[in-house]
Amino acid sequence: MIRVLLADDHAIVLEGLRALLDGEPDIKVAAWTTDGTEVLKLVQQHKPDVVVLDLELTTIKGTEVIAALRERPSAPKVLVLTAYNDGDSMRSALDAGADGLALKTESPQQTLTAIRQVHGGQLVFPQAARRWIEGRATSAPGDLTPREREVWRLVAAGLTNPQIAQRLGLSDNTVKFHVQHLFSKLGVKNRTEAALKYAHGPPR
Amino acid sequence: MHDGPVQDIFAALSQLQVLERSLAGDPAAQQRAAQAVQLLERALGEIRNFIGAFRPPGFERRALGEIVEGLAVQHETLTDQGIELDLPTDLGDCALPTKIAIYRILQEALANGHRHSGASRQRLTVDRRGGAIALTVSDDGRGFDPQRVLASEADVGVEGGHFGLRGIQDRVAMLGGSFAIDSAPGRGTSLTVTLPAE
Repeated sequence: MIRVLLADDHAIVLEGLRALLDGEPDIKVAAWTTDGTEVLKLVQQHKPDVVVLDLELTTIKGTEVIAALRERPSAPKVLVLTAYNDGDSMRSALDAGADGLALKTESPQQTLTAIRQVHGGQLVFPQAARRWIEGRATSAPGDLTPREREVWRLVAAGLTNPQIAQRLGLSDNTVKFHVQHLFSKLGVKNRTEAALKYAHGPPR
Repeated sequence: MHDGPVQDIFAALSQLQVLERSLAGDPAAQQRAAQAVQLLERALGEIRNFIGAFRPPGFERRALGEIVEGLAVQHETLTDQGIELDLPTDLGDCALPTKIAIYRILQEALANGHRHSGASRQRLTVDRRGGAIALTVSDDGRGFDPQRVLASEADVGVEGGHFGLRGIQDRVAMLGGSFAIDSAPGRGTSLTVTLPAE
């Protein structure tokens, strides 16, 4: 069962999505809110698997909510749901480290599909976003150390730093160090971008 | 364009899809609901094609390079025409009016290249040359006779111009920049604009 939290300023959108999601056998809406400042509290309370969030929240920036969610030890997956399919939305979602982007100008069925995909660990972004990240590398994947490649693979698999530390038998700080170097070599800003890039062309 | 209609249609579609499913016992009614879903999806699709272009792209928040990147991604998303983007990492930022002008000029130039060139991709270069920002938009498409197009645009005014070249030229002149276009039928097109950064 995928437990979902919905956050959107538009009450009508919330009501519609809630009805649609609750009709799905594998999805349950655990909580919903029109107030962005409530999201963190509700996540704490209900521990959803996926947070579906509009970036255009009036009380707080959607990107700040995502950043705060990313700080949590067992962060839920985040799917940004927006009316705008422009570069600004895409960049905001990527910069903040969201797991995917779904559009209100597509059928709500697409949102359902995207929720299942991000829950399954996939990153759901338009093709253009992938090309964009591809073009920004400062060094070739061949310049990575074996350790950095290993860390990259685990970041792409969706592991957190503490999980990677445990898996590789390293301290949290050492992993942080490797992750920072990895990001700077790859020319990416965060885990989402690193994972997208891995999906596009893993190290040889 | 305001996003209100998108929110409404998206919400209505969600409700309709719930309704459609609940009508499983009444195939005729379910069919009607399915038709309504299709109509609304089509309306949404049409809105999708232009809503992005009318949104302020965050000029105050984003440096020049990010604005240009966003525009390139937006163009690729909306048109399926590729953009080969060449941006130096140390491009830095520029004055707000210049940034807005660069955005509008590139928007117009990329749209021209999409509408008229027939090329599968365009090349976009933005560079800093001393105190100026230089932009080049080029393609290897069908090209045209710039003198003839600029002359015909002079007759119909800034907004009515077929290629919008005159609009770009006027915008550049207003900011004290320079404008050059190199094109000929069958030889592709290259537009170069230089603007003072501050």
